[in-house]
Amino acid sequence: MALILTRGGFSLPGTSINFKTGTWRVQKPFHRHLSAPCHSACPAGENAQAWIAKVDEGLFQQAWETLVAVNPLPAVTGRVCHHPCETACNRGQFDEAISINKIERFLGDEAIEQGWAYPVDKPRKSALRAAVVGAGPAGLSAAYHLVRLGYNVTLFDQLPEAGGVLRTALPAYRLPRLVLDAEVGRLLSVGIDFRPQHRLGRDMSLDELKAEYSAVFLGPGDQKSREWSIDGVVQRDLHVGIDLLKEWVAMGSVPQCTSAAIVGGGNTAIDLSRILKRAGVQEVHVITHQSLPGPGIPKEDAMTAIPREIDQALEEGVVIHPHRGIRRLILRGEKVVGVELVHMKKMDKGGKKQTIAFEGTETVLHVDQVIPAVGQEVDPFGMEDLLHHKHAFDADPWGRINGRDGVFVGGDARSGSSGTMSGAVGDGRRAAEAIDAYLREGLPPEEDTTPTIAFGQLNVNYYEHAPRQQEAVLPVDRRKGTEEIEGGLSASQVSLEAQRCFSCGTCFACDNCWTLCPDQAVLKTKELASDGSHYVFDFDYCKGCGLCAEECPCGFIAMEEEI
Amino acid sequence: MTAETVVPISDLRNSQLRFRAMESGHRACLGCGQALAARLVTEAAGPDVMLANATGCLEIFTTPWPESSWRVPWMHSLFENTGALASGMEAALKAQGKSTKVIAMGGDGGTFDIGFQALSGMLERGHNVLYVCYDNEAYMNTGIQRSSSTPHAAMTTTSPPGKESMGKRHLKKDIISIIAAHHIPYAATASVAYPSDLRKKVRRALAIEGPTFLQIHAPCPLGWGHEGDQSIAVARLAVQSGLFPLIELERGRLAGAMPLRDVRPVAEYLKAQQRFRHLFQDAPRAREELEHLQALADHNIEIYGLRGDHPDKLDSEGADTVRRGGARWA
Repeated sequence: MALILTRGGFSLPGTSINFKTGTWRVQKPFHRHLSAPCHSACPAGENAQAWIAKVDEGLFQQAWETLVAVNPLPAVTGRVCHHPCETACNRGQFDEAISINKIERFLGDEAIEQGWAYPVDKPRKSALRAAVVGAGPAGLSAAYHLVRLGYNVTLFDQLPEAGGVLRTALPAYRLPRLVLDAEVGRLLSVGIDFRPQHRLGRDMSLDELKAEYSAVFLGPGDQKSREWSIDGVVQRDLHVGIDLLKEWVAMGSVPQCTSAAIVGGGNTAIDLSRILKRAGVQEVHVITHQSLPGPGIPKEDAMTAIPREIDQALEEGVVIHPHRGIRRLILRGEKVVGVELVHMKKMDKGGKKQTIAFEGTETVLHVDQVIPAVGQEVDPFGMEDLLHHKHAFDADPWGRINGRDGVFVGGDARSGSSGTMSGAVGDGRRAAEAIDAYLREGLPPEEDTTPTIAFGQLNVNYYEHAPRQQEAVLPVDRRKGTEEIEGGLSASQVSLEAQRCFSCGTCFACDNCWTLCPDQAVLKTKELASDGSHYVFDFDYCKGCGLCAEECPCGFIAMEEEI
Repeated sequence: MTAETVVPISDLRNSQLRFRAMESGHRACLGCGQALAARLVTEAAGPDVMLANATGCLEIFTTPWPESSWRVPWMHSLFENTGALASGMEAALKAQGKSTKVIAMGGDGGTFDIGFQALSGMLERGHNVLYVCYDNEAYMNTGIQRSSSTPHAAMTTTSPPGKESMGKRHLKKDIISIIAAHHIPYAATASVAYPSDLRKKVRRALAIEGPTFLQIHAPCPLGWGHEGDQSIAVARLAVQSGLFPLIELERGRLAGAMPLRDVRPVAEYLKAQQRFRHLFQDAPRAREELEHLQALADHNIEIYGLRGDHPDKLDSEGADTVRRGGARWA
C-alpha cells in the first residue's frame, strides 16, 4: 500500500512491528531445565518435582504413574523412607520443606484403594528371560523394571512371601502389613513369575540360573549379623539385634529382661529399642559413638537411623547415649550385669577415620542385657565364588560385577549402596537398565548429570509463605501394639502441599516472563513448547534485557552471551 | 535447549490471549519500566480506548515516524497540554454519544511540572478521563534533568552531587495529595513490580465515571543507574522500603494501602542505583542524607499506616505471588 507522506503525516497502527529490535541484543534468554534438589537427592531416582506438579494439577493418577515409572513401591517408601528429598528441598530455606514423603504415601495408598493399574505391558512370551534372586526392595524393583523393559522375569525368594527385609525386620507400627501385602501383591501381578521358598545354593545354583536365564540379578540383602565382642569377650546369652527384631516382627515376643543396652546407632538399634519398650522392658539404652542428628551435625557424625524414628524413640522413653562406646562388659560368671561406658568419637587420625576413646570419662551402666546391633553383612551361602570372602559385592552403581557378565547385584548387598530402602529401589532400577543394555549389547544409560538448582537461583519474591501440612501422629501413651504411628495426609492437604512446591528448575507456566517483558518478546503457547515450557522467545524483538531471567521464580530462564 | 514450536512465531503473536495495544518494535531501552507499565495499562484497559500522550520517552519510542507501536487511536500532544487534549477528546466523544474511554498519559515531567496546569483543569472540569503518570523521577528523554518528582538527594545531570550539594536539594513533590485535593473520585499509585495490583487499579479507575488518576512508579535503568534486568527488583524495593507507598484515594480520602509485611531498609533500595551512590561515601553529610531518606520512608509508613500487623495475601509479599498455570489475582 502506497503511503502518501504529507506534513502532519500519520503512522499506521502497529507498524513498529517492522522494526526488529532483536538486532540490538548482545545476550539472549534461554530456557534451562535444572534438576530440583528433591530429584537429585532421591536414592531411588524419583523426580518428586515432576509428580508433585501433576498433583498440583489435580491429576492424582498421572502423578502416581509418573512416580511408579521409577519407584513401584510408593505406599511403602511413603512410610519408611528417610526422605533425603525433604532435607534437600529448597523450600526448607524459605519456610518448611514440602511434605514430599507424605504426598508419595498418599499416592501409593490411593493407587491401592482405586486399583490403578501399573503402566506396564505384560511381556511377550518370546521375550528374553531374566532371573531375580531375593524379593526385597532391590529385587522387587529390578523385577518390575525388567518387566517394564519387556523381559520375562522369574523372581525367587527363600521365604514364603515376597517383601524381604520389609516383611522380616520392619515393625508394623512403621509399615502396616495390609499396606505391604497390597502393594507387593499388586506389583507381582504385573506379570512377574514369583517362586517363593526357593533358596539360592539349596534349591538352585547360580550356574543353573545362568544357564537357564539370559541375565541374573542378585538382591540378597545382608542377612548375617556382623561379629561382635568387646576385646574378644561376649556373654553367654548373647542375642543379636537384628535376630531379636525379626523374632518380634514374626512372633511378637522378645526375651524378658528389666533393662537392656543396645549397641549401635542405626535403624535396627532404634527399632529394637522401641520394641523392647513395647515389650515391657523398663529401661532401654541405646549406645552409639555417633551423635544425635540435628542442625549443624555433619552427616558422617550423625546416627544413621532415620531422625524421625530417633525422635519417636526418645518420646517413648528410650535413653540414647551419644558419643559413647563400651570399654568393658561387666560379667558375673558369663552373664552381663552392666557395661562400662566411655566417651568416644570418630576422628581423623593420621588420615584414617578412627573411633577414639577418651580416658577418664568412664561410667558404669547396670543392665541385664547387652544387645549388639552393629550392622549386617551378606550371607555368602550359594554365592561364595562371587563374594570372595568379602562382606558385600564389589559392583558399580549399575550392579555390574567386574568380570562377571550376566550377573548383576544391588541393594544392601552391594558395597557402596546407601543401605536404605529407597537406595535399594534405585539399585534395582539401574540394574534393570544395565541388564537391558547388556542384552542389547549396548551401554547402560548415562547417569543424569543435570546440575541441581540452588536456593539462590530462585526468585522467591513470587512465592507466598504457607505452613507445611501436618499429619496426625499417634500419642505416645497409645503406642502399644502394631497400630501405625504416623497418619497420612488427606487429599486436600496433599493438594495444599503441592501448591507450596517451588517447581525448582522446571517451568510451571506462571506467566511471569509473559507478564513482565516490556517488549512483548515472550509469547505464550497453548501447546507445550518443545522444552516443556509454555512460552517461546520472539528473538525478532527480544532486546536481551534479562528481566525475564531475573524475575523467573523457578530459575528456568537464564541468559547467555550472543555476539 | 532452545525454544521451538511448530506454530510460526508471527501466528503465535496474533493469537496471544491478551489485548496488545502497544506492539513490539518500539525503541525503549533494555528493561524499560515505562514500556512495561504502558503495556500493562493498555492491555488492562482493553481495545475501546483512545490515548492522549504527552511528549516524552513513551511518545518518542513508540512512534518513530512513519511507524507506530499503537494499535489503538493515539494522539500526541505537547508537554504542557495533555490534560487539555484529553479533555477535548472526551468532550468530542461525548458529543457523538460514544462510550470510548480516554486515557491521558505523560511522564513525571509532563505531569508534575509542565502539564500540571492543564491536568488540574481537566480534573477540575470533571472530564471522564483516566490520567496515567509514568513516574521515572526525572526528565529522562532529554538527558536526565531533575524534575519536581526527582527524589531528594538523587543525582541527575542538573542536580549533581559535589562539594556544595548531595544531589537534589528539594523533596519529591507529593503529587498524589495534590491530585486528590481536586476531590476526584479515584486516584492511586501503582508499581511495575506489582503488575496484578497495577491492572486492578487501571480497571477500577476505568469503571468510574469522572476524572481518575494513576501514578505508576517505573524505573529507568539509564537514568537511575542500574542494569535493565534489575528494573523490577528496584521497583519492588521502593515499595517494600516504604519510599513509594501503593495507595488508593477516593474523593481525597485514603481508601486503601498495600501493607508492607517485611519493611526493607531504604539503603537496600538506594544501593541498587547509581543515582544514589554518593550517599554511600564515608562522610557525615552522606550519612545524614541516608538517614533523611530513611526518615521520609518511615514518615510514609506512619501516615499511610503501611506496616501490616499480620501477613496478608495482598500485602507487599503476597501481592506478587505466582501460581501454576498463570493464575493471578488480577
